[in-house]
Amino acid sequence: MILQTPILALLLASALASAVALWAAWFGIRLLRHWDLASGSQTQLDLERRTELVSTLFGFVMLVEITALFLLVFNADRMAALFVGAMCAVGTFNVNGWGFPALYLKITLFFAAALWLILDRVDRLGRDFPLTRLKFAAILGIAPLVLAGFATELAYFLNMKTDVITSCCSKLFTPSNEGLAAEMTGLPPARALWLLAAAGGAVLVSGAAILLRKRGETLFAIAGAVFFFAALTAIVSVISLYVYDHPNHHCPFCLLKREYGYFGYALYVPLFAGTALALATGLLKTVANSDSLAGVQPKAIRHLTRLSLAGFALFGIAVLRSITTSQLILFG
Amino acid sequence: MTSWLRRQRALAEYTLAALARRRIKNTGLLLIYAVVIFVVASATLFATALRKEAEVVLAGAPELIVQNLVMGRHDMISGEVIAEIDGIRGVAGIKGRLWGYFYDRLNGANYTLMVPLDPDMAPPEGQAIIGESLPRVRELPWETAPLFLSRYPGDLVRFDIAERLSSESALVSTDLILLNEADFRAFFELPENVYTDIALSIRNPREIDTIVEKIGRLLPNARLVTRDEIARTYQKLFSWREGIMVLLAGASVLAFVIFASEKASGLSAEETREIGILKAIGWDTGDVIAMKLWEGGLISFSAFLLGTVLAYLHVFAFDAGLFASVLKGWSVIYPDFALTPGIDGLQLTALFFLTVLPYVAATIVPIWRAATADPDQVMR
Amino acid sequence: MRRTSIVFGFLAAGTAMLALAALHARIAAAPERARMARSAALVRAVGLTDLALFTEARFTRNPALADLQTAFQDAPMSFEHFPSGTFAPRPAAGFGRGELRFGPEEVAR
Repeated sequence: MILQTPILALLLASALASAVALWAAWFGIRLLRHWDLASGSQTQLDLERRTELVSTLFGFVMLVEITALFLLVFNADRMAALFVGAMCAVGTFNVNGWGFPALYLKITLFFAAALWLILDRVDRLGRDFPLTRLKFAAILGIAPLVLAGFATELAYFLNMKTDVITSCCSKLFTPSNEGLAAEMTGLPPARALWLLAAAGGAVLVSGAAILLRKRGETLFAIAGAVFFFAALTAIVSVISLYVYDHPNHHCPFCLLKREYGYFGYALYVPLFAGTALALATGLLKTVANSDSLAGVQPKAIRHLTRLSLAGFALFGIAVLRSITTSQLILFG
Repeated sequence: MTSWLRRQRALAEYTLAALARRRIKNTGLLLIYAVVIFVVASATLFATALRKEAEVVLAGAPELIVQNLVMGRHDMISGEVIAEIDGIRGVAGIKGRLWGYFYDRLNGANYTLMVPLDPDMAPPEGQAIIGESLPRVRELPWETAPLFLSRYPGDLVRFDIAERLSSESALVSTDLILLNEADFRAFFELPENVYTDIALSIRNPREIDTIVEKIGRLLPNARLVTRDEIARTYQKLFSWREGIMVLLAGASVLAFVIFASEKASGLSAEETREIGILKAIGWDTGDVIAMKLWEGGLISFSAFLLGTVLAYLHVFAFDAGLFASVLKGWSVIYPDFALTPGIDGLQLTALFFLTVLPYVAATIVPIWRAATADPDQVMR
Repeated sequence: MRRTSIVFGFLAAGTAMLALAALHARIAAAPERARMARSAALVRAVGLTDLALFTEARFTRNPALADLQTAFQDAPMSFEHFPSGTFAPRPAAGFGRGELRFGPEEVAR
């Protein structure tokens, strides 16, 4: 099964990413050990020079990983035709035990990559490598994720057999099952929407606090994270019903199909982007406190907040659109 | 923001000037790169279009085919089986299919002779409906010229042409000769009441599995092929073919990457001096890297656009002419078909990953090496 | 005229060509759908099962119905005889997907 162009592309990207991550981590260890801005030694000069390269390369890898998440999902959706019983990406991910771990790792990597890229960008604004140590410590944390992502992806694609009977989304997302997916499905639509609205309100208030009063960054990050989970729950519990015009079809992956106008991308892309940016504001508030960033940090945070709010707003518009244009009437 | 844009534009301007100074070398690089992308993109577009065609067109195939196996080989199946299967619940229609191959000694082509399932489509006695390629390979001189088939030396069977199948369905019908049942049996000297295999139509797709199981118990020797299996066979066939092409092209990607990396690391004395001067006049490492990234970006993006657009033209405007001879193999008949044009984000992203990533990976370290060298070192 | 303007112009033109290709694909979609529907109708009426892409041998003309389980069907030592066969994948599940329709305890009996 490995001989499919998108799979080859994904594996190539992951392999390159792993090589770079390993090398960057090795360099990160050296940097953490010997980094000393005050020193003018040859080692320090060499390290400073190399951070430029390693940051550029690793930043590039992070960008690739972000794109790879979409490629993985899109390809899974496309490949569903090859498996017995699969209707959408769920079936493809369920073909063997590695599918969903690979997806979850890619999603985690997406957020890690987004945060790292923002750290890198802010670090370059300061004159004295203000976040460099932190950046490379973070690489040490991200590199294992990249490697694990590559390993699960490889195991997933190598063990992928066609003609295997896999389960369809209708079996996974039904209230009668056990587990998280079923819990989310079983949540009453009204409560899911209230939850989403409450989280949205919290995001709005804390975001406004940042823009107007210059405080509440941590709160905004937390609200963003809560909103992310509330949104996923709402998608499974109620929004999907509106999109499909069907009272029992809860799948969050069928949304990505062409039949539904790729509507899922209109939901997920702004949601993921908004959440990542919201997390980044909290992160910047906690870590970017050095003197050289004094002028940069508040500006950067406000900028990120605005972008993040824009992402959440786009998500909200997409949700409202799905509800208003739907033939399905759940309330009233 | 505008200052950032101005800086990027200045960098791009400088990069282009630098590229223009080594025009021939860089054009060569660009062209080779574009050719590599062209091959990979053609394979992807072609295979995707074929997969799509197979998916849509073969959706009309019978839900279930029952074949008789004798000594591990496909054999004729008795008509009595039809009555046995007909009793199974859920079977909406059942018909014996009659089809066979005919090797034409005149030109070495293989035709598929067949009796249409739909009796309304069967031609009258002594006549045949022929596929698009027959007039071509038999050089039938005029529109209604009869077709003569010779089964052995001295034998000649004449069929008048009832109809020529349109070339728009060439991909499924190019080598067909459709006869009526009596003519078919007479031509192949078949006894009555035997069929090549049996086609079932099943109204409710959920019942296919149970019906397959029941027939399996009834006819333990039979081989059962469902429509889903047919569809998956083709999805896999073309994915596999595409993968092989991409893998073969992978060799050329690799060669290209080595070439690009070599070019980037073996910077000519002139280029090294250039970088030295830039650094001496105050560029920092980041500027040089940005300039070199512009160079890589401009080259990859142009090559990507060029290769992809040419591949689209090749596959959909020129019917993948470069691949035809490979696909044709030893067969005399090759359908004259046009594919449904299609291009999508998944293909383009995958293509971008497969071709641009290796290039960037190969050039970025040599670039950094050049960028970090001390000015006095390189100018010496 | 600055060099960047020219080159960016070319790149924009290339992107426009690509967009044009996508547009062409979209415009051609409706008539092509109709064409494929007519082909599908022919497939249904005649009862076809395979694409007539490779007519050189039985197992390449009708890969979906071929006797994959009959090894060496064309010559005693032939793994693969016809060029088109090179492109046909080995069945992913391996040969022999059937199961013995009785359990071990029945064999013991």
